[in-house]
Amino acid sequence: MSGGVPPDERSTDPLAGGHERAEDSDESTAPGPAWVRALGRFGIAFARHAGRSAILVAATVGALRHPRRYLHETFVQAKRMGVDSLGLVLLVAALSGAVLAQQTGYQFTTLPMWIVGEGVTSGMITELGPVLTAIILAGRVGAGMGAELGTMKVTDQIDALRTLNRDPVVELIVPRVLAGIIVMIPLVVLANAAGIFSGWITGITLLPMSTHQYVYGAKTIYHSAQLVLSLVKAVAFGFAVAFIGCYVGIQAEGGAAGVGRTTTNAVVSIIVAVMILDVLLAPIYRAVS
Amino acid sequence: MIEIRGLRKILNGKWVLDGIDLEVHEGETVVIMGPSGTGKSVLIKHIVGLFDPDEGDVLVDGMSVPRASGREIGVIRSKIAYVFQNSALFDSLTVAENIRLGLDPEICDREPEECMRRVRESLTHVNLEPEVLGLLPAELSGGMQKRVALARSIVGRRKYVLYDEPTTGLDPVNAAVINDLIARLQDEIGLTSVVVTHDVESAFFLGDRIALLSRGKIQALGTPEEMKTSDNPAVQRFLSGRTDLTRVA
Repeated sequence: MSGGVPPDERSTDPLAGGHERAEDSDESTAPGPAWVRALGRFGIAFARHAGRSAILVAATVGALRHPRRYLHETFVQAKRMGVDSLGLVLLVAALSGAVLAQQTGYQFTTLPMWIVGEGVTSGMITELGPVLTAIILAGRVGAGMGAELGTMKVTDQIDALRTLNRDPVVELIVPRVLAGIIVMIPLVVLANAAGIFSGWITGITLLPMSTHQYVYGAKTIYHSAQLVLSLVKAVAFGFAVAFIGCYVGIQAEGGAAGVGRTTTNAVVSIIVAVMILDVLLAPIYRAVS
Repeated sequence: MIEIRGLRKILNGKWVLDGIDLEVHEGETVVIMGPSGTGKSVLIKHIVGLFDPDEGDVLVDGMSVPRASGREIGVIRSKIAYVFQNSALFDSLTVAENIRLGLDPEICDREPEECMRRVRESLTHVNLEPEVLGLLPAELSGGMQKRVALARSIVGRRKYVLYDEPTTGLDPVNAAVINDLIARLQDEIGLTSVVVTHDVESAFFLGDRIALLSRGKIQALGTPEEMKTSDNPAVQRFLSGRTDLTRVA
């Protein structure tokens, strides 16, 4: 770790997950049916996490003004996330492109074969490339971050950073979030390329399709706006993977079992967030562009 | 000086600390002892701002810790070292890198040689060989990890050191080594220390004054001799390890 700075504002601590727990109401005396109480508990938990997440986002953005303190660690994290995930991302992307080509060719039998090029190119760039890359990183990187930071939380390492006058947001969160955003962009681009290439190979091998037809279909459907959408999703998903992995990790409590739950929660939360973002981004981008 | 005034803290709906008053004067070692789960660690975490009290105040050299701004808490923490119960060494960093965290990063950026000299010096103070500098914490024994944590606490030449159960989990030989180190550091460097422990032997070995924390309050406070001869039932119970005073002969 490089040097750190104490937080400027001693307002609500963005990392104060476990020490101070809000008191829950006594279940045995609360009025109303069980489903209402369950809904209430969900609402309270949602509001609590929304508030803490917002505070952590603000602290993360605020910590960006100390680049000397986190740049080295950012590159370390980016290498770990990007280079170490590349093989798996390319493999899954290639397999997805192959499946997409096959299904397009098999389903749309009444249409010309260049539809395969259209389907694979559009599907990979706008959806499968970013989403599958994010899901892979959720399992490989997000879970790892959750476990690492969760372990640090339950073994007092995060508190130790504070007592050493190091800001845990600068030392731990910022490098990981920046690395997540940085590496997602080239990973998504390479995943798109791998899927499109694999779709071509599958098409000319298993379908009655020529390279000319595939290229024609790809060129017909491709528009630069699709690539921009793909990159916007890459940035958004990269942030979600890293931020949620870190956020869930620093909430860990309860020793080894707690860290285990944290790891599971991180993956599930990231995947849900990615899918929600995926639903939201396309119409927003369409409206803006 | 560290001053704790009327400190009350509620956790999980229970008053863990219920009106603590304590002063720690410069140069002395105050031991806070008591049964497990009585809030000893919670108490000393207030001193370094890891907890905020629900009532009362904690002052370090006249500065209120719970009321301190972000910059002020940095000033307070620059005076205090905290040795955690499980050492809290960073798994991905070597021993040298862990100890270096106890130094001001500006010093290490400006004068890396001076930085390393102080790291080696602190290692000598805790009787560890320079060969361990390149090792990771997982490659060290429990006693060695504790000594690295001690080295990290003294490398920055801070005025106060808080020890949270420094010998817990160690075998008797290593526990005695750690106690000796703490006592020697106190004598050589002249630190002001607060030691939290449930180990009676360590408490009487290290403490200039001993406070017994039980049921959220300090039940007794005095020198080791005063505590040994105290007729306070809580002190007698704790020192004898009995749960029912009526069974004392």
